[in-house]
Amino acid sequence: MKKEYGALVVGAGIGGIRSALDLAETGLKVALIDARPSLGGILTQLDHQFPSDHCGMCKMLPLTQRDQSSQYCLRKGLFHKNIDIYLHTELTGLEGDPGKFQATLRRRSTFVDPTRCVSCGLCAEVCPARVPSEFNAGLAPRTAVYLPVPHNIPNHYVVDLDNCQRCWRCYEACPTKAIDFKFEQRKDFHIIVATPDERITQDLPLWFKDENFPLHPTATGEKALELLAGGLECGLMLLDLDLPEAEVERTLRRALELRPNLAVVLLVSKDKDGAKNEDEGKDKAVAALFKQGAREVLAKPLKQAQAVPWLDKLFMRLVSDESFSLEVGAVILAAGFECYNPGDNPNGCADLMLYGSHPGVLTSLEFERLASPTGPSQGLLTRPGDGKPLHRIAWLQCVGSRDVKKQADFCSSFCCMISIKQALLAKRRSCGEAEATIFYMDMRTNGRDYQRYRDEAENTAGVRFIPARPHSILPGPDGDLLIQYYDYSGELREEVFDALVLAVGARPPKSMERLALAAGIEVNDSGFCATRYLSPNRTSRLGVFAAGAFGEPADIRGSMIQAGAAAMGASRMIRVYHGPRDETPEAEPEYTDVSRQVPRVLMALCSSCPTLELNVNADALRQRMAILPGVVKVVDVKRACTREGWDTLRQEAEATAPNRVLIGACLPYMHVPRLRELGEDLKLNPALMDVVDIHTASLAGRATSFGGHAACRASCAAGRGEEPGASPGVCDCGETARTDEMSSLLAMAAAKLLGADPSSLPQATPVSPQALVVGGGLAGMTAAMGIADQGFKVVLVEEAEQLGGQAMNLRYTLGGDDPARFMEDLIEQVEKNPNIRVLKDSRVVLSRGKAGRFVTVVATGEGMAHTLHHGATILATGGHEAKVYEYGNRVRKCVLTQLELEQRLAAGSVDASSLSGVAMIQCWRSREESRNYCSRVCCQGALKNILMLKKRNPGLPVYVFYRDIMTTGFAEHYYTEARRSGAIFIRYTPDTRPKVEFKDDKPVITALDPVLSAQIELHPDLLVLSSGVEPNDSAEIADLFGVSLTDNGFYQEAESKWRPVDFLKHGVFACGLGLGPATMRETLLSAKAAAQRAVRILSEKQLSCGNVVAEIRDTLCSRCGRCISVCPYGARALDLDRDKIVVDELLCQGCGSCMAACPNSATVLRGFRDEQVMAVIDAALAVQPAAAAGL
Amino acid sequence: MKNTHKPIAFVPAPLVFQDETLVEVQNMVRACMQCGTCTASCPNAFAMDLTPRQMWRMLLFGLKQEVLQSRTFWLCSACYSCTLRCPRDLPLTAAMAALKRMAAAEGDSANRKKALFYQEFMHNVEQNGRIQEMGFMCHYFLAMHDPLLPMEYGPLGLKLLAKGKLHLGGSGQRGRLGPLFAKVRSMEGAS
Repeated sequence: MKKEYGALVVGAGIGGIRSALDLAETGLKVALIDARPSLGGILTQLDHQFPSDHCGMCKMLPLTQRDQSSQYCLRKGLFHKNIDIYLHTELTGLEGDPGKFQATLRRRSTFVDPTRCVSCGLCAEVCPARVPSEFNAGLAPRTAVYLPVPHNIPNHYVVDLDNCQRCWRCYEACPTKAIDFKFEQRKDFHIIVATPDERITQDLPLWFKDENFPLHPTATGEKALELLAGGLECGLMLLDLDLPEAEVERTLRRALELRPNLAVVLLVSKDKDGAKNEDEGKDKAVAALFKQGAREVLAKPLKQAQAVPWLDKLFMRLVSDESFSLEVGAVILAAGFECYNPGDNPNGCADLMLYGSHPGVLTSLEFERLASPTGPSQGLLTRPGDGKPLHRIAWLQCVGSRDVKKQADFCSSFCCMISIKQALLAKRRSCGEAEATIFYMDMRTNGRDYQRYRDEAENTAGVRFIPARPHSILPGPDGDLLIQYYDYSGELREEVFDALVLAVGARPPKSMERLALAAGIEVNDSGFCATRYLSPNRTSRLGVFAAGAFGEPADIRGSMIQAGAAAMGASRMIRVYHGPRDETPEAEPEYTDVSRQVPRVLMALCSSCPTLELNVNADALRQRMAILPGVVKVVDVKRACTREGWDTLRQEAEATAPNRVLIGACLPYMHVPRLRELGEDLKLNPALMDVVDIHTASLAGRATSFGGHAACRASCAAGRGEEPGASPGVCDCGETARTDEMSSLLAMAAAKLLGADPSSLPQATPVSPQALVVGGGLAGMTAAMGIADQGFKVVLVEEAEQLGGQAMNLRYTLGGDDPARFMEDLIEQVEKNPNIRVLKDSRVVLSRGKAGRFVTVVATGEGMAHTLHHGATILATGGHEAKVYEYGNRVRKCVLTQLELEQRLAAGSVDASSLSGVAMIQCWRSREESRNYCSRVCCQGALKNILMLKKRNPGLPVYVFYRDIMTTGFAEHYYTEARRSGAIFIRYTPDTRPKVEFKDDKPVITALDPVLSAQIELHPDLLVLSSGVEPNDSAEIADLFGVSLTDNGFYQEAESKWRPVDFLKHGVFACGLGLGPATMRETLLSAKAAAQRAVRILSEKQLSCGNVVAEIRDTLCSRCGRCISVCPYGARALDLDRDKIVVDELLCQGCGSCMAACPNSATVLRGFRDEQVMAVIDAALAVQPAAAAGL
Repeated sequence: MKNTHKPIAFVPAPLVFQDETLVEVQNMVRACMQCGTCTASCPNAFAMDLTPRQMWRMLLFGLKQEVLQSRTFWLCSACYSCTLRCPRDLPLTAAMAALKRMAAAEGDSANRKKALFYQEFMHNVEQNGRIQEMGFMCHYFLAMHDPLLPMEYGPLGLKLLAKGKLHLGGSGQRGRLGPLFAKVRSMEGAS
């Protein structure tokens, strides 16, 4: 049976997860696949993210309909009812058209049965293989059977077949027989060998005797075919190329006709002294045979030590890997990136940087692992190798980025901020003692708040920033490192460091070529997925979208926005091809009201795992549980993780009619979806059920876990110096402790369930299926289109008399697109769209309500007032070029802003050929205290003007005064081009600002050239200022919708990394220039991402809150307001009209901060009331009477 | 003490494409982003009056005379470290060589004198099919018209002689490279 999904998301890193969640929350089924055996991509390895230096992945989790996904640490696992996850799976083919793709996937087996593996780790203990651990970036070894990520849930061991030594020790050690090497299947796996080589004919059967394979050596292809035709269940054919060429070819063709799935391996003799010509001939023949379907090549002469494991592994892959196909509406590619490896030959720089040969030279990823508490040094910053504490650390930027020699004519975008973060981390870890130095070319702090972060690092924390690029590293004294570099004054400086961190850049994923071929997409010159500048979320194939850092290197924030935009594209595509969404949503389950019943707890203990019986006194446990208050029955369930197990449980429950259910099993998060089903069957609210992890407790004290009672007692007796069996029953190695532990866990959960509030949840809010978009510029219009195309009504409110906004001022882009044409088309589409109602010359005057139900009054220019009911709001009020009045701007004709120059160049009123010189000053009044942020567009704006000037007049001198050129991503290419075209870039610092005077109405600029440390005097015709971007005044709008602004007047999003287009106030989203400086491309992305966030709300019929929300006992409340300020979600407010603190149940995420802050215990959390928590603590501490009695 | 030819203040030359030889060198290094990798890589940088990074910068500003007065490019021993390591893939060693050619062709007497070493070297190689150190140095001293120069090189010469590094006798390869040089001349003449 072929499964159908709305979308297939390839890559389960943060980009993929974001896209998958964005789609799943609108009700689409999503298949999420990843080639790795674990979720989370590179973020599983990173513990610290700037600016908070914490992990925040969980902030991505759904805020509405929370109970549809387990609210749980996303680094550990993702559980959503609409998302199916396939790990260790790759996309191998994509046929069909948008709306109905056939995706072929190949799942590589991990050889460990996840339903049996109990993650006890005995297999890894006996494994003799050691390879560098991917998780610890190679700083620590791992075994060939290993946990890909130690903190995953569920976490099962996997066998890395490539590094497996085939010793079978893990197979023998596994207590649950979870490791499956297919021993039984071997005797049905016949191998035919067609070879004229008699030695092979003799040797092979002997070699494979132990391996259980039936072997059929034949001397000719003819005989082999006879065997096949005779109906032999053959799985593999070894075909010797020393047979006559025609025979080889015929045998291969015929064999594949008989058995299309047969794996044919070619035996090719590679003589060392063989003639080269002969080898080339063979290579050609092999290539031809590969085309006909041969699978692999095995070199002759065969050696037992290599051939046997090789064939064994091939067999394992053949019988274990599976291929399956899915029907999907759209595909999102989020395969992410690979970190540049300096050790990669021949283009690496390992030799110059001592990488790999000196323990003090680390990549940024390795440093990240070193600083991680789960890393190889438990988070102590010490040098691998000699363990010296790291006090002097240097960071080297642009390793593998911005280097045309390493095929990297791009900037990796994230490394600058990572290095600053790591430098600050090192400072903080050492209480400020560490010396942190960053060697850079341009510090690309091009986000809205990044410049402040850098200033803080430089001025407050004392991180040194040195503009230099040391080319090679020398070993220094005492295992330290010596760095030589020339500073700007031309002096050679030498410094000694304990460690050097190479800030490695991004590379396309290793599987890119395969993936591009399978998905049928184009890649760009740098090997990343090709996207067009003005349709940044689309790949070259319709219906296939690029998310995360797949299309262009990006930081977390950029990936999140890109992923949201990709989700919007996919969602729209699915709607377009599948028509309007199903109008029959699932019925809301109805639950019996049990609030007036006496609590009756049914307790079910899963007894499937052998660990329970072996390690715990199960009878005692059951007896103790039965006498707990409220427990009506304790039942054993065989294998709670299977369907049969749950059926037994349901039958028991139907017979007992409990109003609370407690299940003791493993992996509680796996069972959450089943609780919902059980709840529907029993008409019992799943909030009154719980699953307790008794598995971990049963494994405590693992050394004796699997010997069972007998072994345990024997070892205890030996420990006391007695004969085994001398004092039977006496055993102090943990069984009693484990039983106690487990019973207290269960008792705690039972106490919590007893106190659970069975009353029904606050009523759900019905959703008005219409969106309001404020601002009719590029962002607003794109967002409106994104929502309208998915079948929802949109009202677009624009203050001006025309749509278009700031983007109308642009004339060309770096990539050569025509923004004017693009905007014309967009305006036409918006005005013609039947779902969009455009209100020009209008403004919002009043808004009330919350997510799902806003009521807003819009006043138009003619004095009309419209009252709108809408479920979501997008604020796209935009920005404008900052006004600069210095340097003769707006007074003298020879001084222009970049935007004015662009317009005049396009209109022809500035004639490049008649100019004798142009000077530009970047960062004018940006990145200093008046406007301390990078405006992001000016560097690219300057570059495009330079290239245009140079195109028209190649001999024109152009001088650019800059601080750091912020061309992240592929825009770096144009920086290279601008330099190549002859523009001269002169760096200045805030202290050495260029001075401008005017002589004969022409600017005279004097400045310091830092490279020559000489005064330069310029007499250009034109002076062009990069004045930067300012947000439009949105204080009023922000006030109306109850959202906040940054110091500079941009919208303050909920979380700069994980929720970049959301506000804390749910249901209101921001995009475009109002959110932060952005190019056209970035504006398009944020608008699309915001649209998808809004669609998520609109596609619900009603919004209901989670089970765990805060409530207020109004009579106890003193209105002190402490809870309002501590609430991280902005869910609480003081309602002045009613003189009450009110909680927005949709916003409240049940974190409990308010409860801790409240001095009167007036605020309570459903599910965590004081009495309940106290009862749980009592249960945990209670000395069980049964235990005291010595049971 | 370094005799620096770095200007303290200057007005960049207008970027006109009249001086073809200068433009040729400028084109080689236009994409330079002043990262300084070349300078840090250069084994001879300690002896240079301008660092390579500064010299490229001055070239781009059109400060031709100042560059030609410096000895930086003469000290380039063509080890190619900078070319190998330049992240912009610029032909820096070639640019150094182009500067030497330019200085020899149009520089002042000091530069022409510096070029003598190279000329004599190539002349010697052409004649002998390899370098013959004794003959080469003799010709060089003569060409330099400086009676004190042999004294300066004396100690070094003796040291090299003691280690057997000075080739004294005749060479069996004499004149063997003649056709090669002739070919190069004809190619240069043709272009």
